[in-house]
Amino acid sequence: MAASPEQSPGDVVLRVEGLRKHFTTPGGFRRQPVVVRAVDDVSFDLARGETLGVVGESGCGKSTVARTLMRLDEPTAGRALLDGADVFAMGPRELRRARRRMQIVFQDPYASLNPRMTVEEIIAEPWDIHPEVLERRERPERVRALLESVGLRRDHAERYPHQFSGGQLQRIGVARAMALEPEVLICDEPVSALDVSVQAQVVNLLEEIQARLGIAYIFIAHDLAVVRHLSHRIAVMYLGRIVEIGPEAEISEAPRHPYTKALLSAEPRLDLDAESDAAPRQRILLGGEVPSPADPPSGCRFRTRCWKATELCAREAPPLTADPESRSRPPRLVACHFPESDAGS
Amino acid sequence: MSEAATLLEVRDLRVEFRSGLETVHAVNGATFDVRAGETAAILGESGCGKSVTAAAIMRLLPQPPARITAGEIRFDGESVLTMSRPRWRQIAGRRIGMVFQDALSSLNPVFSVGWQIAEAFRVHGEASRAERRRRAIELLDRVGISGAATRVDHFPHQFSGGMRQRVMIAMAVALGPSLLIADEPTTALDVTIQAQIMDLLASLRAEYGMAMVLISHDLGVVSEVADRVAVMYAGRVVESGPTREVLRRPSHPYTLALLRSVPGGKSKAQKLHPIVGSPPDLARMPVGCAFHPRCEMAREICTRVAPPCTVVEGASGATRTVECHFAAEVASGRVA
Repeated sequence: MAASPEQSPGDVVLRVEGLRKHFTTPGGFRRQPVVVRAVDDVSFDLARGETLGVVGESGCGKSTVARTLMRLDEPTAGRALLDGADVFAMGPRELRRARRRMQIVFQDPYASLNPRMTVEEIIAEPWDIHPEVLERRERPERVRALLESVGLRRDHAERYPHQFSGGQLQRIGVARAMALEPEVLICDEPVSALDVSVQAQVVNLLEEIQARLGIAYIFIAHDLAVVRHLSHRIAVMYLGRIVEIGPEAEISEAPRHPYTKALLSAEPRLDLDAESDAAPRQRILLGGEVPSPADPPSGCRFRTRCWKATELCAREAPPLTADPESRSRPPRLVACHFPESDAGS
Repeated sequence: MSEAATLLEVRDLRVEFRSGLETVHAVNGATFDVRAGETAAILGESGCGKSVTAAAIMRLLPQPPARITAGEIRFDGESVLTMSRPRWRQIAGRRIGMVFQDALSSLNPVFSVGWQIAEAFRVHGEASRAERRRRAIELLDRVGISGAATRVDHFPHQFSGGMRQRVMIAMAVALGPSLLIADEPTTALDVTIQAQIMDLLASLRAEYGMAMVLISHDLGVVSEVADRVAVMYAGRVVESGPTREVLRRPSHPYTLALLRSVPGGKSKAQKLHPIVGSPPDLARMPVGCAFHPRCEMAREICTRVAPPCTVVEGASGATRTVECHFAAEVASGRVA
């Protein structure tokens, strides 16, 4: 894994500011419409060539962030600046051009590839939409080169999706996303549906592609181990908000937000190096479950499950602020009134 | 631990599924034991036969298309496969409980959860109506559902995924079974909820002195909770033994490869080592060792002869079994 690329302001390829996505459930007989705040004021920068991991439990809004960035869902508010141009404000023609630079790989490879198309047609389809990228006569060769670059064979081009395993299909999904040579690749749970031995194939492939082409990834997953392995920086989401964002090492080693700490401690870990069984990891068991995003708690959204919550947390939502002990630039940000610290708390 | 009596014995279990012209060999001679009070994990990836094995133990295989072609399953000395239906009904539920991955489809949507928990008492002719209800509330409370007295009348759709899993656990332990079979009980849940459920299972196990068969694909979960582990591949237990020993010093190349394919090591710079290829087509099993087409250590003999099950002495004196021609070399780290 390469060291985190040095960040200077010019290196930011995608800047997300104040992203909100509210869904309104239809009202009906004696039922008021309900506003679900799936994503509520999310901001982050993505540097060129870096991987930003986004973690959080179901319903935290991580997939909604992905879908709104691609404008598969229309955002309610906010800006997404792709090299300075706001993706959310673009008309159809501009958007088409922007999508050439920003692609997405979905979780379910079985559902995201058309079973009636050959692999060649699937991978070449982006060029139908963006014919300027590649001359038609060059397509067959490029398709086969892409297949080889994702570890498949050239003759796989003539086959149909049902002839492949899940891991192979996911590589075809990656090949399709790479066809337009994007600068940003959004991976929405790309390995969650795969067996562990096959997961590693796709994880390695993503690493290789990044090393070769310098693509930035937004890597969304609930599997913390995979996210930690791949990411330079990590954003932890809870109920539609980022509660902590910063370098992978800082967050993994010393989480500041109580939720991050609980999440990391809840993850079952293979601890094979420890020869003595003496020091079991301290596990923080969170009580209760994630509240509904239709009716989030006042103030800090995590307070209902937080062991540190006070009256202040119920009153005021803590803003994302720089962690004074952060060694990185830009510094780690935490949204908590009472963050953990190196000194212990 | 090693003195505890064997509660469940599975010997050379074979299960086939016939579909059209093909015969899928889902389980090909699985052998393992579960001792009273212990947690035994069956670890494997999709299609390795772990859930089919669990279904066979619970006599839940749909026959046809499934067919148990060979083998023996003994619970507390009695043969499960040849047992009469009435006898089995006495054991299922009362002495063996089961928890599935998908709580929503395992619960009946048209009955309240209290009714479904009380069903165990009703079927086994226990207690009065009022008493059954009281005990259902007690169980809901025990599995950590707050406001159990009102929740008892609620229906499955009114519960979240984690809560439904708790309801299912309450049903499974209602009659105080000595064995709980948990088939991927936390796979559909978020990690913080998974931790809650695993914690609940551990405390219930301690309270009831219950043994558990945990079926899982998750190395982390298995390494944390299981006393012993059986690693399955292509319908066979390729390696078994005490969890720590097996995962620290695997003797089978598949176990080793599985461990090397997951992230989680201290150094993140380490590249993952995926297992090449994909699991075998169970309708067209490779000759010889089923793992040989994907094995980095495979030699000529592996393509011809299926390795026998060898018993090896573990570090702590506990028995380990392994099915590999080169198990000793794998364990000593001389290969790869």
